[in-house]
Amino acid sequence: MKFDNIIIGGGLSGLVAAIESQRAGKRTAIVSAGQSALHFWSGAFEFLGGSGPHPVIDNPLGEAQKLPPSHPYQKIGVKRTQQLLEKVPGILADAGIKVEGTLSRNHYRLTPLGFLKPAWLSLDDYFMIDSPDNLKDKKYSIVNIEGYIDFYPRFLAHGLLQHGAKCEVTAVDIPALAPLRKSTTEMRATNISRFLRDDAVDALARNVNAASSGADAVIMPAVLGMFSDAPVQRLRSGVDRPVYFIATTPASVPGVRCQLSLRDCFTRMGGTFMPGDTVVKGDIEGHRLRRIYTYNFGDMPLEADNFVICTGSFFGHGLIANIDRIYEPIFGLDLNVEGGRTEWYDTNFYAPQPYMAYGVVTDQEFRPSLHGETVENLYATGALLAGFNALKEGSGAGITLATALHAASRII
Amino acid sequence: MKNARKTEYDVIIIGGGATGAGTARDCAMRGLKTILIERLDFTAGATGRNHGLLHSGARYAHTDPESAAECIKENMILRKIARHCIDDTGGLFVTLPEDSLEYQDAFVKDCLKSGIPAEILDPEQAIRMEPAVNKDIIGAVKVPDASVDPFRLTTANILAARINGADIITYHEVIGFEKDGNRIVGVKVKSQRTGEEDIIRGKVTVNAAGIWGYHIAELAGVKVNMYPAKGALLIFGHRVNNMVLNRCRKPGDADILVPGDTISIIGTTSTRIPFDEIDHMDVTPGEVDLLLREGVKLSPLLATTRILRAYAGVRPLVADDKDPTGRSISRGIVCLDHAKRDGVEGFVTITGGKLMTYRLMAEEATDMVCRKLNIDRPCETAVVPLPGSEPTAEDEERRAHIIELSTEQKAAEERHGSWTGKIKATSDSDDALVCECEQVSVAEVNYAMDELHVHNLVNMRRRTRLGMGTCQGELCACRAAGLLERHDKCTERNIDDLASFMQERWHGMYPVCWGETLCEVQFTSWLYQGVLGLDPEDSKDIDPSSF
Repeated sequence: MKFDNIIIGGGLSGLVAAIESQRAGKRTAIVSAGQSALHFWSGAFEFLGGSGPHPVIDNPLGEAQKLPPSHPYQKIGVKRTQQLLEKVPGILADAGIKVEGTLSRNHYRLTPLGFLKPAWLSLDDYFMIDSPDNLKDKKYSIVNIEGYIDFYPRFLAHGLLQHGAKCEVTAVDIPALAPLRKSTTEMRATNISRFLRDDAVDALARNVNAASSGADAVIMPAVLGMFSDAPVQRLRSGVDRPVYFIATTPASVPGVRCQLSLRDCFTRMGGTFMPGDTVVKGDIEGHRLRRIYTYNFGDMPLEADNFVICTGSFFGHGLIANIDRIYEPIFGLDLNVEGGRTEWYDTNFYAPQPYMAYGVVTDQEFRPSLHGETVENLYATGALLAGFNALKEGSGAGITLATALHAASRII
Repeated sequence: MKNARKTEYDVIIIGGGATGAGTARDCAMRGLKTILIERLDFTAGATGRNHGLLHSGARYAHTDPESAAECIKENMILRKIARHCIDDTGGLFVTLPEDSLEYQDAFVKDCLKSGIPAEILDPEQAIRMEPAVNKDIIGAVKVPDASVDPFRLTTANILAARINGADIITYHEVIGFEKDGNRIVGVKVKSQRTGEEDIIRGKVTVNAAGIWGYHIAELAGVKVNMYPAKGALLIFGHRVNNMVLNRCRKPGDADILVPGDTISIIGTTSTRIPFDEIDHMDVTPGEVDLLLREGVKLSPLLATTRILRAYAGVRPLVADDKDPTGRSISRGIVCLDHAKRDGVEGFVTITGGKLMTYRLMAEEATDMVCRKLNIDRPCETAVVPLPGSEPTAEDEERRAHIIELSTEQKAAEERHGSWTGKIKATSDSDDALVCECEQVSVAEVNYAMDELHVHNLVNMRRRTRLGMGTCQGELCACRAAGLLERHDKCTERNIDDLASFMQERWHGMYPVCWGETLCEVQFTSWLYQGVLGLDPEDSKDIDPSSF
């Protein structure tokens, strides 16, 4: 099989690169092994938000200028990074995903434990504020679904209280959810979302109204709308006051929706999505990747002019560690890993972990190398790249999207 | 605590490991007014950091017949009184091509001499019984080894002590002794939480603090020649073997592989360490390499099995009082009457021994306490079942009918035995699982908070196995923190506790941080620090050994 461009990896990075490639009229295919980081999405994208006690709020683009030259934002150029990322809300909107936020100033999202954390874009129905001062004297009704234990209303209430808000904590129930409780493992976000549709949403809205009288707004767990946001809209129109959602622990319902929406957007444009398949190897000849082989297609190769590798870090299996080495499993691309296994980690769980910054080393155009020689038609993106700690920088989605859009611009 | 201050106890027991808990049970059963004081949580020391092996005694048959005879006797007793803590796996002593078969002959003779049933098997037969064993074995002997859950065993002893009237306080450190002349008449304790100090009075004090008993003895003004010996172990991500596997040779490093619950454990090493390391033990890369290298010889499957965690415990080795060089180590139980030995009245140290002989150690210590108090009551701990191991009406019914239990019901019953019925679900929501790896329900979490001295997530883990499975707390720790918060309404402390719990999990993961373990921890980091925003400023001060 022959394509113009093949994208290896079907997470946020791969989907966005593929959509842009297909949009430009290139015959594009995605080979996707399975779930991605979107499955535990917080509902917000970060560009450069810092972490923990060191948040970045006012001028994230200015902060990006201070990053080292090896950082992806600097390699692309902060100005061009900004131009690329400003396309993101439009790309998401084409797929039916509505987000709010700007690169010039971070807003805050409310984490499930009640912390305020900087974000660049948030889903438009998520809880977001410009400043903690906005919380003063606000009255929130935090409404859980009875028996749902992946949402922590009292932690949220405690967090909001720190900034002067008043909160009431309640849980509501509707008969439609009774069957879920008969099993010990079914009261999870994605299962609940399957039951919260049509009339059940109206019933839920009525109970939320009864539970939240007197509040300025309602805060609920993001357990609605796995396949479309219609149930979310229905609930919001049925509740008398604004409803804002908070991320849950995995799997993330809006994350799954986002993944599926982007995939559908890509296939609607005519792209080829190959789910549940894994690239096992490729032929690199004359500094070019000529063809790849996958688990499902066996010895039938997939050929393309350009390839983008978006396979992620360790938990995406873009990198593999065994007891004595770390490697990139498809091509054996060059990595920035130094030292043996005792060098890979810090004994403090919360400290910057060296392994987080491991990945493939690339040229200025994000083309990886094999034995020191650049592969000229292969681009790497996102968490697979070397040299930054996206968790501590608060830059995961920004790097993922910027490098994906950069790669797309080079293959179209 | 206020009660404690008013009461004068007959006996104060220092240490909440198996020995201390067993001693509290025995003293309380003999009618003594008893209090147990633990510095941290139950099983926080060596009790919670070993193989969980119910020795048949075979390991000691050749080198230490006295210990071997004690082991097989206690083995048979624990099978009766602690059946809900024991998984009767049986054990094999296998001879590898590099070991000598001559040892096997002597080994079997020694076993039989100590009263340990030992049956030589054809290697092929052994491989059929335990397919995980190295296929190259040239000899195998079947012995009545089994696995025992030290967390459950200790909790059951604590419950028994409590039922018999004992008071139990955790997170209180003994910082000094009250003396009247040369007699110890009480202990000064300090709360680990509030820093408050208090005095607890008692006629006799038993030092059952394991290796920490060295400092306790020092506080009392006596010296016990103890040496800390570190033993490191690895936990594998699933139950590789169903029978305990031992090397049939002189006892050495990493020659026992024990199945327990959902996992298997290889161990151990043995290294003398200085006293200042006993609270801060890291498993070194060298220890991990040795455990893997030797473990793979017992079962080659270990080479391709995910390693969940590494951990280490400290054995209290006690030197013979007659040997000032400290080279001659007593192997068996050491029960010291400090009145006779050092002229300090009202103070007893019970140490040496092993998890297997905890009950016998408790019996010897309690006998000594009773002699001091002029009380003459027989020990009944060998015949009275522990809470959870009593025969129940349901047992009878189950024998008469076949009742299918769900996996979560089975899991709870394995943990709590006949006391499982005390776990009450008040609604369907209470049946929901908090920890899916170990099948721990909301109701079980609530029961543990109400009844089992749970103050934090690490306590919860030790009582219920929550967070011990393949995800290492990734999905259940925040859920459980939410439930704990609902219970005690102290939000800030519960968030700090959640942060500490994740550090405690990481402490056992970083020595084996490659493969699936690295994938898991990266995911956990993104979830907790990213999505949940848990990123404490003072994280470097979290001390995983302070639980």
